[in-house]
Amino acid sequence: MDRREFIKKSLQAGAASLAMMTMKVPLINSAERTSTVAVARNGSPDDMVEKAVEMLGGIARFVGKGDTVVIKPNIGWARRPEQAANTNPEVVAAIVRLCKSAGAGKIKVFDNTCNEAKRCYVMSGIQKAAESAGADVSYMFPQKFKKTDIPNGKILKSWHFYKDALDADAFINVPIVKHHSLSRMTMGMKNIMGILGENRGKIHNQFDQKLADINTVVKPTLTILDAVNVLMRNGPVGGNVNDVQSFNTIVAGVDPVAVDSYGASFFDLKGMDLGFLRKAHAMGLGEIDLSHVKVKEFNLSG
Amino acid sequence: MRFARRVSQIFFLSLFVFLFIKTTFPFNASIPHDIFLRSDPLVALVTMLTTRQFIFRIFAAGFLLVILSLILGRFFCGWVCPMGTIIDAGDRLFSRERAETRPSYRKHRLWKYSLLVIVLIAALFSVQLIWFLDPLSLLTRSFTISLYPLLAIFAEAIFNLLLKLGAFEDALFSLYGAMRGTILPLAPLLFSRSILILIVFAGILLLGRVTRRYWCRYLCPLGALYGVFSAFRFVRRRTTDDCIDCGRCYKECKMDAIASDFRSYSHHECIECMTCVHICPTNALKYTTGIKPRGDGIDFSRRRFVFSGATALLAVGATKTALVDKSSSGAVIRPPGSVSEDEFLDRCIRCHQCIKVCSTMGRYLQPAWLESGWEGIWTPLGNARHGYCEYDCNLCGMVCPTDAIHELTVSEKQATPMGTAYFDKSRCIPWYKNEDCLVCEEHCPISDKAIKFEVRRVTKPDGREHDVKYPYVDEDLCIGCGICVTKCPLEAKAGIFVNSTGQKRWADEDAVDALDFYR
Repeated sequence: MDRREFIKKSLQAGAASLAMMTMKVPLINSAERTSTVAVARNGSPDDMVEKAVEMLGGIARFVGKGDTVVIKPNIGWARRPEQAANTNPEVVAAIVRLCKSAGAGKIKVFDNTCNEAKRCYVMSGIQKAAESAGADVSYMFPQKFKKTDIPNGKILKSWHFYKDALDADAFINVPIVKHHSLSRMTMGMKNIMGILGENRGKIHNQFDQKLADINTVVKPTLTILDAVNVLMRNGPVGGNVNDVQSFNTIVAGVDPVAVDSYGASFFDLKGMDLGFLRKAHAMGLGEIDLSHVKVKEFNLSG
Repeated sequence: MRFARRVSQIFFLSLFVFLFIKTTFPFNASIPHDIFLRSDPLVALVTMLTTRQFIFRIFAAGFLLVILSLILGRFFCGWVCPMGTIIDAGDRLFSRERAETRPSYRKHRLWKYSLLVIVLIAALFSVQLIWFLDPLSLLTRSFTISLYPLLAIFAEAIFNLLLKLGAFEDALFSLYGAMRGTILPLAPLLFSRSILILIVFAGILLLGRVTRRYWCRYLCPLGALYGVFSAFRFVRRRTTDDCIDCGRCYKECKMDAIASDFRSYSHHECIECMTCVHICPTNALKYTTGIKPRGDGIDFSRRRFVFSGATALLAVGATKTALVDKSSSGAVIRPPGSVSEDEFLDRCIRCHQCIKVCSTMGRYLQPAWLESGWEGIWTPLGNARHGYCEYDCNLCGMVCPTDAIHELTVSEKQATPMGTAYFDKSRCIPWYKNEDCLVCEEHCPISDKAIKFEVRRVTKPDGREHDVKYPYVDEDLCIGCGICVTKCPLEAKAGIFVNSTGQKRWADEDAVDALDFYR
């Protein structure tokens, strides 16, 4: 490559990326797509969940009377709540109660676990908490996975998704913020993997794009990010309570990319630092730049 | 009395099934899951002979049953043994018209005493043979490896079929959902060579076509042991003068225990099933007490004893002189808390309770084939490609009746390596094609992670540079649980494997492992 060619190619590349950026600007700036992220801090899980959802316009905006609601926490691991490998059971229970108060019909809670399902459901405390709050907690049925096309997928063209999650009137994604070596962090977008079947390990190769592909199919009604206790190291399984840091925060929003992008701040990162968010943003799944996001914060102890 | 016996049989079979199903997570330690195996005097006797140790855990209940059989005879076989009950049920299903047992079969009764002698003599040479023949071990094993998995498969097939009909979908899912994880396993249970264990079990039932209670009459070494102790039974059958020589009792006796004079009977064979008392048209049969030893004795000749002894020595030779290749014994990943390999083989009765309790996840513990030699057939082995050892689980040690797997606390178990993981760099995705994967590291339950990684910048064929995370094992941290192998997303062989390197066995510090000396 000589100098002339280099300059030519560089200019071409620059022009191309500039064109792409200008194309996306109107999308982001359109009033309709302005994302809101609600952040509630320093309260009980119940109060924080309620406050965060209230800041988004209240649960009635998302859950109607008689709706079938799927609440999808992270129940992936045979770990106890204080080890912060699974979503905080009190957060899950609070959301179940909130949905009940909005008149939801059936409320289903499930996850495709990594460790043995019974152990995960029991040890995480989620089965007990969610059931006593009135949810239907079940182990996932292989019969309910169905092969679903991913028309906008760049690498993945289809995958097995859980029918109940796709068919729900409202799908509330309730991830916990955790360290993850491959993707640096796991939050809402990664939590969607819990409704996938097949050999999910295969997603981990060219992970960022594949995860974004998956997320083009499932768009949560609401993402409620559990940052009550955050696993800072040795994720996503953890185990050592010394790796857990308490942030006592709940982040909620409709835009899954914006919520995860806010979540990155718990690790002193920006959304742009996370490859899967960059890919998701590039596919138009949501806003990655928090300066374009309306962040509403509320401190419950203040 | 026959009714009472049937109630008792159904009760103990139900108890057996109940305890079997309860042998899972969530585990209730106050339930004696292994009580049938622990009250088996033959298991106790043989294990104490092979290990030359007194093991109270398995001695007490079995000893009590032996004392009882001194008084009551082989009541265990007729009233308690769940295998006997299943054979009774099988006989009703399979047996042909109740033909008179051929008199020539009577001498076959001695087979079971021969088997008992073979097992005991082999035990003197520290060879555990009882695992194949003990009825309670055999039954627990058949339930674990064959019958319960079959039930699960059938239930799922019926569920799928009903689902196809299209109606009541929600109700079907709730019903099946309520059964899954409680009385049915969550996932299908799959075991290596499960068919062999089923063949043995089905074979025993099918022997009912030859004569009723074939297994109990001619083969069962536990029955033989109880038979020996039954010689002095105080409770015994008496024929009064009302007997009209109709011969019905002789014909109907499950055990062929009644002599052709219709009056005397074998103390060693009668299992107190009370059928004769029940069917006697003149009520001529009574069960009374008596002290004077009576009956026919066991006609066990010296020649038979010598032959049995020689057979036992053949078994000793076959197992103890065979070389176990180190490259195959590298796959011998025993459950955490297992005692040293020699002692493990002395103790393990292949009841597969550990496999049952582990199969909550399924498939990690599998019955072995020849990985640890002839002596190790059907012992539990960890096969990490299909399942793994749950980090927070210590249940296998809690259900082992013979302490082949020592009971560890969860934290002790987490500190007990079963082996070490090794990357196969010719297969592992980052190593062979320079792309990220790290699924193994993600699942590694140790914190700090026993799988670590190093980031290296590589240039792809298209000229672009990017960072790739290359995993490696920290062997000081790895406990060989195998979840990395299970979760490896590659088809076929994983890019990581576990072998027995660094495996820590539960050891009595004073015990000397004779073979270790030569290794």
